[in-house]
Amino acid sequence: MGNNPSQLEKEIGSVQLPANEHYFGLVNFGNTCYCNSVLQALYFCRPFREKVLQYKQQQKNQKKETLLTCLADLFYSIATQKKKVGTLAPKRFVTRLRKEYELFDNYMQQDAHEFLNYLLNRVAELLQAEKQGNKGKNGENHSKPEPTWVEELFQGTFTNETRCLNCETVSSKDEDFLDLSVDVEQNTSITHCLRGFSCTETLCAEHKYYCEVCCSKQEAQKRMRVKKLPQILALHLKRFKYTEQLKRFTKLSYRVVFPLELRLFNTSDDAFNPDRMYDLVAVVIHIGSSINRGHYISIVKSEDIWILFDDDIVDKIEASAIEDFYGLTSDLQKNSETGYILFYQSRE
Amino acid sequence: MAVQGEGGGKDDIKTHFMTREGTYRLMPLSEYSKPTRLTYNGQTNTPSKVSFIDVNDGTGSPERICFNVGRELYFYVYKGVRKAADLTKPIDKRTYKGTFPTCHSFNKMLVSSESVQLLVGFTAGQIQLIDPIKKELSKLYNEERLIDKTKVTCIEWIPGSTNQFLVSHASGQMYVYNEDLQCGPTPPHYQLFKQGECFAVYTCKARSTRNPLYRWVIGQGAINEFAFSPCSRYLAVISQDGFLRVFNYDSMELVGSMKSYFGGLLCVCWSPDGKFLVTGGEDDLVTVYSFHEKRVVCRGQGHKSWVTAVSFDPYTTIVCEKDSCDTSANEEDRLQNNGGLSEKLDCNNSEGSLSFPNGLHQVNSNNDSYSYNKANPNSLHNNNSANVYITSYRFGSIGQDTVLCLWDLTEDVIKQPLGRLRTSVVMTNSAHGISSLKCNSVPHSNSTKSNSISNDVSAMDGHAYAIGNSTMNTTTKFATLSLVDRKEHQEKKEHKRNFSLAGRSSDKTNNLKSNHIRPPDDAIKLLGTQICPRLKDVPILEPLVCKKIAAERLTDLKFQEECLVTTCQEGIVCTWARPGKVGLTQQHTVNNQQTSDNGTIV
Repeated sequence: MGNNPSQLEKEIGSVQLPANEHYFGLVNFGNTCYCNSVLQALYFCRPFREKVLQYKQQQKNQKKETLLTCLADLFYSIATQKKKVGTLAPKRFVTRLRKEYELFDNYMQQDAHEFLNYLLNRVAELLQAEKQGNKGKNGENHSKPEPTWVEELFQGTFTNETRCLNCETVSSKDEDFLDLSVDVEQNTSITHCLRGFSCTETLCAEHKYYCEVCCSKQEAQKRMRVKKLPQILALHLKRFKYTEQLKRFTKLSYRVVFPLELRLFNTSDDAFNPDRMYDLVAVVIHIGSSINRGHYISIVKSEDIWILFDDDIVDKIEASAIEDFYGLTSDLQKNSETGYILFYQSRE
Repeated sequence: MAVQGEGGGKDDIKTHFMTREGTYRLMPLSEYSKPTRLTYNGQTNTPSKVSFIDVNDGTGSPERICFNVGRELYFYVYKGVRKAADLTKPIDKRTYKGTFPTCHSFNKMLVSSESVQLLVGFTAGQIQLIDPIKKELSKLYNEERLIDKTKVTCIEWIPGSTNQFLVSHASGQMYVYNEDLQCGPTPPHYQLFKQGECFAVYTCKARSTRNPLYRWVIGQGAINEFAFSPCSRYLAVISQDGFLRVFNYDSMELVGSMKSYFGGLLCVCWSPDGKFLVTGGEDDLVTVYSFHEKRVVCRGQGHKSWVTAVSFDPYTTIVCEKDSCDTSANEEDRLQNNGGLSEKLDCNNSEGSLSFPNGLHQVNSNNDSYSYNKANPNSLHNNNSANVYITSYRFGSIGQDTVLCLWDLTEDVIKQPLGRLRTSVVMTNSAHGISSLKCNSVPHSNSTKSNSISNDVSAMDGHAYAIGNSTMNTTTKFATLSLVDRKEHQEKKEHKRNFSLAGRSSDKTNNLKSNHIRPPDDAIKLLGTQICPRLKDVPILEPLVCKKIAAERLTDLKFQEECLVTTCQEGIVCTWARPGKVGLTQQHTVNNQQTSDNGTIV
């Protein structure tokens, strides 16, 4: 699918391509598309890219190689290319990744979401360690560490509210998240999936809740709502579901539509920024029928055009073609191309 | 959680539903589709749309139906709820190559039993005019795609004109064509004719008059649909940029606008009296906009995905005589005294009468029970229609969630902001997951364990602002809710800042967590205004019916006198008989006219 880079350049014409932007496909080192697709998506989350490039500037003479320095080198390499479109081999990054985390140290297809999770946490950890002057290496500090720019960009907060049905007292507990994993249903929207996430749950029978005020177990209602909306909202669609019968993960190819513009409905009353407007900036797409087979690609928004990255292939697509990645309304086809991780960036 | 099968499982697809006027039933024999139905492969991505025309041929089945499925277009006799569809004999069937039909419209001025004029728009931008009865006529417009290469999204004859029509495209442009004119062998040259905020109108510069007569460029992104008001004077246009824009069609002036909560707007419909517009969109909401007051009246939450079609049901709208409705009369006076409402009732006055269909049911306001079935079709004509006042509007919506919702827009919601504080819609914890709505409503002090929250809605003073006015008159008052009060004060400040373009830097000194740093962005700037109120600032309606009625996503909805008609992506047109209108018999050779109302459902 798609054109080679030079054709792309010819087709869109360098005039139309945003100035100072570079579109470089990444070579696949044997099932590393899970990595390539997430890296491209993150590169086009502009605030994230800027932070990584800033890090590169600050760490010019760093000797020790980490996953973060490899990432920074890769991003720097893309950003400083002479050509607008081309191909790069993220060799050092992939080698480093395989060295650091044994789960990825093979040639099997991996879960892109797991990789995203690992990458963000690892980068945050490295930054934290640097802040602490390499003292608390594994983040074992007892005082709450100051947020790094990973948290500043991706971290949001839920509030877990429990209302005792006897005394009406509401107790709430806050929890941070770097991304939200949502259950998917057939023929729904991401908005609906997010709402499902905040459905009210009644705690009764053996699940009764111990109310501090009543000093006894009581029926209660529980719900989770977003209290702090992150700057970059990463939404993971739980498309891989473990089926007992088959003893394996099966893919839910349900059609879940996602708009280019998004606001959240499931915010708490005391949310700092409940009306935050988000724009879709990148989507990691899973192609195929199961978690361990198939392929990952990504589509990203650059200024007002949409670019598709399929490993080393770069292609321009129409915004209307995003529709092809919502999923399937019937089970007849097995090979689906479905949105898997959505990156929404706050407009403010 | 149950694993859902194809389309969420066939079992939970409803074949009837109840409203307070009775039970609506699916008529399995009145199903229209391709004559030979293949297994749906999910490939066609042009939504199936339906058009009706009454050819008045003196028979019991004067209606004709047209619908598109994939590359095909069908034209059948529509036999309604009383007789079975005969799918083997379409009057006309067309199959297209390389381009798919997307929308169609009948000319309502030139209709006879021997001839109808049908406009068809296509995915590659072309337009065709055909006569599916005579079959001789076939004219093409934008054939070489010199005018617009993008998908035709909506096509309509201009009301009152026999030869002019309006076509919108995914490019964000609309064109006025004259059926009799040529499109010319070269791309048209345009000349700016009229310009306003977010739109421009061009004329075609040519030695001899050619198509298109006008080009409208509106907003950003695709125009998804447009609709002329019942009085023909106004044109409502909705776009992918999330805006509803209402134009005075002849003077080409923007007279009203509204923004979705987020995402594109996908469908729009005028109320039968032209006072309200309802839209549906990618925010999964239906939004009711008061055209006269230029404000969002309420939002409806019930769909689980994007809303693909909305339509007012003129037959279930409740009217009462004005002089017997004291409150309404007062409301009228109140409205008339309000300077901001210059457009008010323009529609009605210009025509001298309301353009309701004959079946509009009248309800005496003194009568507490609604009676729908005994209405005299001519009752409206016997009255001075200026004395008729609508107290409750019914509209329907369908979506990609395969769900049909019906909504009642009642007086207490409509009148909410006019200086009175009222308790609005009670949101009960229904089975549709609506409960999570509570997230955004401020809990009322009386809220109890029962899980239902009465959503106190703030009163506004009802001053509608003129759209051309540069200072937005958002003198919103919030009386009781301290939380809302506080936020709204901040809001007011911000509007001033936004419009005076000052104080931005001081905003930035706010702490990081604050969301009050606003770039000059329309969608964000508009939040909290009457054009795009915050969620908690307007009532949230709950659907009175919310049923999954199809396996595939729904694409069109039409209200007919005896039934409502839905169609889905697969191109299956379903007929739902209204209460008391079930009369389908399989022997349609005998007794075809006088079937009784209590026929059985097969």
